[in-house]
Amino acid sequence: MKNDLSLSRRELLLSTLLSGTAALTMTLPGVSRAASSQAAGTINLADIGVGNPGGNWSKYTAQSNWDVNLIAIGNAPSAVMNKLLAGGGRKTYDLINIVGGMLPPLVNNHLIEPIDTSKIPNWSKDSYISSYLSKGSPGYDFIAYQNTIYSVPTVLQGDAFAYLPEKTGKLSSYGALFDPKWKGYTALEDNYTTAGQKTAMYLKHHNLASINDPANMTPAEIKQVVDFLIKKKKEGQFRTLWSSFQQAVNLMTSKEVYVIDCWEPMVFAAKDKGVDWVYADPEEGYLLWAMAANLVKKPGVSAAERKAAYELLNFMLGGWYGAKITLLRGYMTNPHAVEYAKAHPNEFSAKEAQKIERITKDVKSKFDQGGSWQQRWPKHIDAYQQQWERFKAA
Amino acid sequence: MAIKRIAGKIGGRAALLAPLAFIVVFLIAPLAFAFVMSFWKRVGFQVRPGFSLKAYASFIHGPQHVILYHSLWMAAAATLVSLVIAYAAAYLAAFRLRRSATRVILFMFAAPFFINYIIRDFAWTDLLGRNGPVNEALQWVGLIHEPLSWLMYSDFSVMLGLVASYMPFMVFPIWLALVGIDQRLVEAATMLGARPWKAFVMVTLPLSMPGVFAAVIFGFVGSFGADAVATVMGGTGYQLAGNTISSAMNILNYPLAAAISSVVVLSLLVLMGVWYAVFDIRTFLGRLVR
Repeated sequence: MKNDLSLSRRELLLSTLLSGTAALTMTLPGVSRAASSQAAGTINLADIGVGNPGGNWSKYTAQSNWDVNLIAIGNAPSAVMNKLLAGGGRKTYDLINIVGGMLPPLVNNHLIEPIDTSKIPNWSKDSYISSYLSKGSPGYDFIAYQNTIYSVPTVLQGDAFAYLPEKTGKLSSYGALFDPKWKGYTALEDNYTTAGQKTAMYLKHHNLASINDPANMTPAEIKQVVDFLIKKKKEGQFRTLWSSFQQAVNLMTSKEVYVIDCWEPMVFAAKDKGVDWVYADPEEGYLLWAMAANLVKKPGVSAAERKAAYELLNFMLGGWYGAKITLLRGYMTNPHAVEYAKAHPNEFSAKEAQKIERITKDVKSKFDQGGSWQQRWPKHIDAYQQQWERFKAA
Repeated sequence: MAIKRIAGKIGGRAALLAPLAFIVVFLIAPLAFAFVMSFWKRVGFQVRPGFSLKAYASFIHGPQHVILYHSLWMAAAATLVSLVIAYAAAYLAAFRLRRSATRVILFMFAAPFFINYIIRDFAWTDLLGRNGPVNEALQWVGLIHEPLSWLMYSDFSVMLGLVASYMPFMVFPIWLALVGIDQRLVEAATMLGARPWKAFVMVTLPLSMPGVFAAVIFGFVGSFGADAVATVMGGTGYQLAGNTISSAMNILNYPLAAAISSVVVLSLLVLMGVWYAVFDIRTFLGRLVR
């Protein structure tokens, strides 16, 4: 949940890179004109930065004869809703690729369309969908609403927390965030759908609170979570709440905190700066999430345009795209990514293929261990917001 | 000639109407719209015109009003601290420094505005962190034996951030007011036996008050609406009024965001009303300007 400082979730790595690349590509007259003169049309893909394969859509264009115009958008649920409801996004975008977990508001406001999976050949070949997001599994709600599929999972990841082993030794429970041993040396994300849900997972796992589903708590349940957090806050447990990628990385690299609720790419960033943070494997499970590509309910969309959008969805579940995104962002994508990278040494070096395989293996183990799927727009969101404000004001 | 005069008058009025229309369209109308929307009803993800006090009830019964009081207190305290520093700097620049030095000093107060305010706030976190250079220097000289945690992510750091951000804005109106004071009045007080300190209290200070109050408005309004300082430099969930408006926007609760904004604007209007009642803005430069 973010305000303007709100370099929010997963805008992280590359909002800047994304906008720069997109803007540059679109503003170079020679480039855009040359490309569009050959293509049948352009698919407008709104994306938070994670789904950009380095600005290179040539393989998709070669297959479909359509171009992709990538438009950078913010990832905060309110930003997505505002763009689609009031910002003219529905008239512009064909696809919107965002962190999922917010289907109810998107569907109930008639902003997106159901997905016809028979038009996506790679769908049935994607064992991650059948393993982690199939009907009856908790992940199903991430791509479906009221038994209808609305989202194509393009990226999968499990979030936890990170620690500085030189100070803490090995840690394996979210309880470390609340352990008096690290009083004043822990930090949480300023976000009730991440920090709030992880706290609920911890409390539920250890029978410290009566919570049915950490992903969708009742007002009384979220109140219990916030009461616990307020108690810890008053004891001086938390150094601060962070709300941007850079802020969290600064806390980590300056060793201002030893335990932090964060995203895995922040650990990579800290390691790049020479500080050896470790992303934990928590006994309570991971906060699971996926990037969800949705078909925007665009007025007056043509059949050809829709067909091209489906082809793009299929492309995003393909090997090259998956390998590229895993390499660039460090997230698992689809089962074809590793095979593709290994089979195409002219496109991915052996080192890159190994990296893609390692990342995929790591994230797969997270999904095998399981956890709770992130709910970005819980049923009682007003209660969440009021309670989180209470925590912050306490 | 008569036609020319009439045309001139019409032209003059039109020239006056243009800025007035600008203020109405771009400043007053959005505020009025926000005020009206604060009474609208929230239906699902939409807002519908109507009359409901629900947003104000949420504000009064929720944590937001506590944040508002806290914001008022922090903004007032930061403004007071800034005023003391800004007045001293402006006084030095107006009366004690050579003209060339004054230019340098005034330029230095303008320089921070060349840097993005978020980057400025991030720089403080590096400087004042437990492992930052300030703590290291204090330990090195032996003043402390372990890092001071309260230098960062505390009331102190938020206060520092607010003062550093808005104090430079306050130097200029005070300096303008001071240089506009007729120095013969100060000399007359001295010749009548007043000591320098008394001449300052009895003559300079009262005559500089319009500039002081303008500076107070700049400092207070800036501090009151600041959100980046609290987010980057505040402790766990440190919030000022600007942050709580953003939080309401994040769940598309526009009536609540509009209600908080309206209360904030009303608070500031009260202050502006006091300024209007007490000081004549035309004396801003120390003398009455028609």
